[in-house]
Amino acid sequence: MMTFCFTGIRSFSKLWKSNPYLGLSPGHSYLSLFFKDCYGNQQKWFSLKTVSAQNTKAENLLIAKARYFRKGDEGSNKQVSSDSHLFAAGAAKKRSQMNPHKEGRALPPVRDTIQLPTKPLNSEEWDKLKEDFKGKANFESWIISQMAHSHSSIDVAKSLLAWVAAKNNGIVGYNLLVRYLYLCIFHKQTSEVIDVYEIMKARYKRLEPEGYTLLIQGLIHSDRWKEALLLLEDIKKVMVPSRRNYNDCIKGALLHQDVNLAWNLYQELLDHDLTPMLKTLKTFFDFGKNIKDDQYSNKLLDILLYLRDYHLYPEESFAHSIKTWFESVPGEQWKGQFTTVKESGHCLGCGKAIESIHLSPEEYEFLKGKFMRDVIDGGDQYKKTTPQELERFQNFVKSRPPFDIVIDGLNVAKTFPKARESQVLLGVVSQLAKQNLQLLVLGRKHMLTQNSKWRKDEMKKVQQQASCFFADNISEDDPFLLYATLHSGNHCRFITKDLMRDHKASLRDAKTQRLFFKWQQGHQLAITRRFAGSKLTFQHIPSYDTVVQTTGDSWHIPYDEDMVERYSYEVPTKWLCLHRKT
Amino acid sequence: MSGSIILRSCARFSVPFTIPTNRRVLCSAVLQKYMSSKIPAVSYPNKENTSTPEQLGLDGWKITMKSSAQEDVSTVSSDKDEDPLAAVRELVEMWRLLGKEVPEHISEEELKTAMECVSKSSKRKYLKYLYIREKNKKAKQIKKEMKAATREKAIKEQLLETAKEDKQQNFLFLRLWDRNMDIAMGWKGAQAMQFGQPLVFDMDYDNYMKPKELQNTVSQLLESEGWNRRDVDPFHLYFCNLKTDGAYHKELVKRYGEKWDKLLLTATEKSHVDLFPKDSIIYLTADSPKVMTTFKHDKIYIVGSFVDKAMQTGTSLAKAKRLKLATECLPLDRYLQWDTGTKNLTLDQMIRILLCLKNTGSWEEALKFVPRRKHTGYMEISQHSQEFVNRLMKSKTFNSFPKGSLHTQKRWHK
Repeated sequence: MMTFCFTGIRSFSKLWKSNPYLGLSPGHSYLSLFFKDCYGNQQKWFSLKTVSAQNTKAENLLIAKARYFRKGDEGSNKQVSSDSHLFAAGAAKKRSQMNPHKEGRALPPVRDTIQLPTKPLNSEEWDKLKEDFKGKANFESWIISQMAHSHSSIDVAKSLLAWVAAKNNGIVGYNLLVRYLYLCIFHKQTSEVIDVYEIMKARYKRLEPEGYTLLIQGLIHSDRWKEALLLLEDIKKVMVPSRRNYNDCIKGALLHQDVNLAWNLYQELLDHDLTPMLKTLKTFFDFGKNIKDDQYSNKLLDILLYLRDYHLYPEESFAHSIKTWFESVPGEQWKGQFTTVKESGHCLGCGKAIESIHLSPEEYEFLKGKFMRDVIDGGDQYKKTTPQELERFQNFVKSRPPFDIVIDGLNVAKTFPKARESQVLLGVVSQLAKQNLQLLVLGRKHMLTQNSKWRKDEMKKVQQQASCFFADNISEDDPFLLYATLHSGNHCRFITKDLMRDHKASLRDAKTQRLFFKWQQGHQLAITRRFAGSKLTFQHIPSYDTVVQTTGDSWHIPYDEDMVERYSYEVPTKWLCLHRKT
Repeated sequence: MSGSIILRSCARFSVPFTIPTNRRVLCSAVLQKYMSSKIPAVSYPNKENTSTPEQLGLDGWKITMKSSAQEDVSTVSSDKDEDPLAAVRELVEMWRLLGKEVPEHISEEELKTAMECVSKSSKRKYLKYLYIREKNKKAKQIKKEMKAATREKAIKEQLLETAKEDKQQNFLFLRLWDRNMDIAMGWKGAQAMQFGQPLVFDMDYDNYMKPKELQNTVSQLLESEGWNRRDVDPFHLYFCNLKTDGAYHKELVKRYGEKWDKLLLTATEKSHVDLFPKDSIIYLTADSPKVMTTFKHDKIYIVGSFVDKAMQTGTSLAKAKRLKLATECLPLDRYLQWDTGTKNLTLDQMIRILLCLKNTGSWEEALKFVPRRKHTGYMEISQHSQEFVNRLMKSKTFNSFPKGSLHTQKRWHK
């Protein structure tokens, strides 16, 4: 007998609200019927989709396709290519397509439908339009923001301002001016920008960040670009300028060949602890093509080292700029190519070995100490564990020889929802034990109590084949897992599917977080097997570190492709390989 | 006439200025010239609009803007090195002109706070908070005035009525209800101080909270105390770990005023483990692995008075672990179909649930105080008995047990 229950009632209302005539929505609503039979473990999803006409992106098709696969269905994960690893760019995107969300994307709010004028109107026409307007907002500010939104021509906006001024004795409000300024900048009307700038200077003693930002953006293209720097000074009086402000000023300085000023601004930006926009860095490289100057070249190389230190990756167009600049350096004969790196860690372009993923001994010790202090202790040992347990654990680790593999018992056991947990764990442990590896299984004490999921005899076998440490049920086991791995040394790996992002976040500073991430990439094994019976397979571990790097006469620069969405905990897969022909 | 309008529109700026009369004349003259030269723009609907903006007279406003404004500048551009406070004040003013959510009036102290905000977004947030507060204040003021007006009207009508009929009426009581209620509650409170079950608020979280959170906590404490006072059988409240002259204490004294010393509760610097035997203490925390099944009248429950907006999970559990206390959490998942929101309830919701449990012992009744937005309704059969049934099925020892009978009962006591 079947019982029907509807889930996601919210998406129903969304479905009703969505107006097919609007054609505004890039999204679509899903109406999901959820059949559940009395046993409650077989679920099927059927999706009825209302797709708006513009929605022809291949990506959406992919999502739609993915919807028909159940999670854990054999073969449905084939698209997650086995040669990419857990942290490769785009992996998370693929994973999310495998497990689609129940609800469709939210629709944008319905706009007030009033025809925006396409030609300048006279005051009577504006009056009439105002009468037709039935919104709650102030008509003038509403219409100008709509115009800014749809990039109307500046003459229309100007006629609006003229009408407002006529009504108000020649006074136009600041908000209208700012929106008008935005339109002028969008249409690159520098003379208009200067006019508005003059008016603002005359009328107001000081502006606010939005106005300043727009003015800076507009002024840098004119002859009066130096005044943009004065505006930057004005911003500094009340707050730290944004990186966009710096970007615009630097761009202005470079447009007008003032290289020193540009570098000074760049230094100032770094001193404020702001991360420069990649656009800014790209501008330096683009400008560098026409400069033949060692000092400038060295500064550009410093930028590349900055990218290295902060684990930033250029975008595709930026990578092209870098390549072009290198190839334009006279007398050095650089040759650049876009390529990938083999699993063995050798560049396909030049065959050179990419830097190893392993940490240097100093880095390793530093990370270990920080990890103990910040993640396990964290100022209050009782939060994640207890002092007694910590001592027990430390004694336990010290008393054993170093391990080769540390297993997150609970995470591994729950890999296959249909199988018994202790059985899965035993399967994994015995397969690894056959390879003569020193194993450590971390778990919680409740795994030792006999119940339907955990059988004592199977756990006994696990304990015979591996060393085990069971934390209290309310303690966290992940920190112990990571620490045991770190403690065992560089050859030790750990097995879990957990991405450990919360533990990464409890490390205090960004530098340590990056170290942790590098270490994690090199030491985490994730099980990729799809069902319990087959042989164990793991995500391959990259042997090389994805980071900007140099050997003096070669550079290897990973970059982001335009079409691939990369999550913050993933690394690019494409490289720019540069080497000198000697 | 036109000058007066300019005056009014410029009065919005905080910049003091004066307009000499000749300027005003010039200004309106310029405007007149431009207005008269203006040609209606859409008089050639079928022709391409080739006329330049100058011909359309669209630039007139620029001239008037510049000429009418020169006065504001002359008065202010003199002092270049002004204090940063004034700069922030002007920033707020410009934000207001842009239609951002910032307050109209802002005091020196608030300006200082805004100036000390580290980032732009924190400035914005603080100013938005001030803006909302200002709006609420205004709305209240308007309501108050309206009420006063209606009251006056009513009094007038009443005067007319009483003049009409001056009849003697017999009453049993004088109208002193509020006072009587207060006194009765005071007696009950005194009784609770002597014989009531203790309920402890642990005040040891002041280092974990920002000032804003601390204020919210104090508000919730006040509310909790109020609910307790009105109950039939109040708890004997303890405020433990309350440091004298700490931020907490100061805020409480500020909010309670004179009443603080007359409150019928125990405020102490001591810890709860010094006052009560350890084995009878139960620390209530949402992170606890153990679920509360029944309310025990011989135990001392502890509620951490802690508003946590920074998601510092496990703080209270760590505290209980350190002192080796028993912990419990409310059986929210067992009785409610949880939908959204954290399972940390506010202090006043907590005390009302506990009071209700104490008086009736029914979970369904008590969990009415969980905000309705957080759950979609009560469980059909409580999860608890469901688990029990599952266990029976598995163990197969009770095969003779009639299965249906369990589905009818709501709760199952251990």
